[in-house]
Amino acid sequence: MLGKGASRIAGLASRKPGRLRAAVTKPLVNVRARSPVTPEAKSIVEPVYLGLTPSLKKGRWDPPAEKSVAILEPTVFKHPIRRDILHLCVVHHLDGLRQGSANTKTRGEVRGSGRKIRRQKGTGKARLGDAQNPMLRGGGIAFGPKPRDFSTKLPRKVVEMGMRVALSAKLREEKLGVMSRLYWPNGKTKFLAQKIDTLGLRKTLFVTGEAKVHEGLKRAIQNIPMVKLISTNEASVFELLKWPRVVLDLKAVEFFEETLKRQNVPILPAPLLEQTSSEAVESQPLS
Amino acid sequence: MASKIRVPRVTMANIRPAQGSQQNQKRVGRGQGSGYGGTSGRGHNGQKSRSGPGIRPGFEGGQTPITKLFPKRGFYNHNEKTYAPINLDRIQHWIDQGRLTSSPENPITARDLFESGCVHNVHDGIKILGDGAEYLKTPIYVIASRASQSAIKAIEATGGKVVCKYYNSLALRDCVDGRMDRVSAAPTRREDIIFYSNYRNRGFIAPDTLEKLGDMPFVEERWKLLAKELGTWRRQTSLAENMATA
Repeated sequence: MLGKGASRIAGLASRKPGRLRAAVTKPLVNVRARSPVTPEAKSIVEPVYLGLTPSLKKGRWDPPAEKSVAILEPTVFKHPIRRDILHLCVVHHLDGLRQGSANTKTRGEVRGSGRKIRRQKGTGKARLGDAQNPMLRGGGIAFGPKPRDFSTKLPRKVVEMGMRVALSAKLREEKLGVMSRLYWPNGKTKFLAQKIDTLGLRKTLFVTGEAKVHEGLKRAIQNIPMVKLISTNEASVFELLKWPRVVLDLKAVEFFEETLKRQNVPILPAPLLEQTSSEAVESQPLS
Repeated sequence: MASKIRVPRVTMANIRPAQGSQQNQKRVGRGQGSGYGGTSGRGHNGQKSRSGPGIRPGFEGGQTPITKLFPKRGFYNHNEKTYAPINLDRIQHWIDQGRLTSSPENPITARDLFESGCVHNVHDGIKILGDGAEYLKTPIYVIASRASQSAIKAIEATGGKVVCKYYNSLALRDCVDGRMDRVSAAPTRREDIIFYSNYRNRGFIAPDTLEKLGDMPFVEERWKLLAKELGTWRRQTSLAENMATA
């Protein structure tokens, strides 16, 4: 009934809103506005409470770590553990690391002349062309490796879920810590190493969410073995899984929450009670 | 509130793919046990068992292939327009439900029909058709790309007004978006000019249409200007006529 040929105004119904729209549009007068779809009931989720780890260097205005609790998004930090998603993310990361530079010469690339080794008929042996035949010693390689790209693609949402699962797994195993600030104004590696040992934070990955990583901390931590400092834009599922302990600073927590949290999930608001010493903390802090 | 069940830590050593998500690669020519040894799934002798690209797709061994048996036919018309049909009974139903209204100040356009769900896709324009004309009760004011003769008759019988306006693809998109900053283009092709200058089609640049509409609020000044400019051919006398009179 509509005849041949596809519509020339392709995708009219599925245009994304807000792309190059005019500033002034005519109001829709003749059409009754559609009532919004009422969403189905969603269970209210409780936030995750995590006691703060004492910071490497306490800033003057920072709250005391012993009495402070970080309130974390449950959609990011209490995600169900999906080991298969972690596997996908790790394999994807490692694929991308491959150099892919193995190379061999085929019979066309091995240096040699094209002269026929022996006559076609009469010798009683197999027929042969040039001496670079893969069956011969010194010949080319048949179907050998060639330089290629081993990187794979993984959907962005799978990677995001991997990050959520990794953070949740670390928190569940009590291997995730939150510090109010990651900085080291002193700049001395020796004292930083002592401080890290005191806190028991060897084999730890420090993730900072600052736009510019604190220079003193970066230089001091560079030479300390079994400790690494990265910023949030270098954080990957592989790094989070590889390191036994992970310490985030508050800005990093905010970054992960902003980028990874699920919208439209009703979360129970944190109760603001009086501070008492017998206040129990839901999650154990970093061990 | 720790669970009594001990779950091993999640480390690099104990993550594995989901059960059944990974299939083993088929490797041919690697012994009898694999099931693909020996001839490697190619059978014995013949063209298909040899290396190389094989026969080209569509080749039928020399017999005239099906793609060559029948003659080519026709041509593809690049100027063809596909109009989204809409019958009068559907419009009346929408008006009865209250999902669509029309007035002389705000006539029904492609935008209203699309946004209300009366039409699912505007394609190259909307054509009003007359199926179910007996159900049309309310007078409607509508501007479409085309309208059938029975639809025009039925709309005007109830006291409504119908005008057929030329929309090119940009103008149609602006209409559906509700953009007011651009001016929609006038028809340039001869067939379009003749169609929309015809009162029978209720074309927007037909002088009779504009006269009958009178001072309806939705009539634009531009239509009158275009009617004058694009209607020059009516007032011109042809060379043959000139020769005859001279």
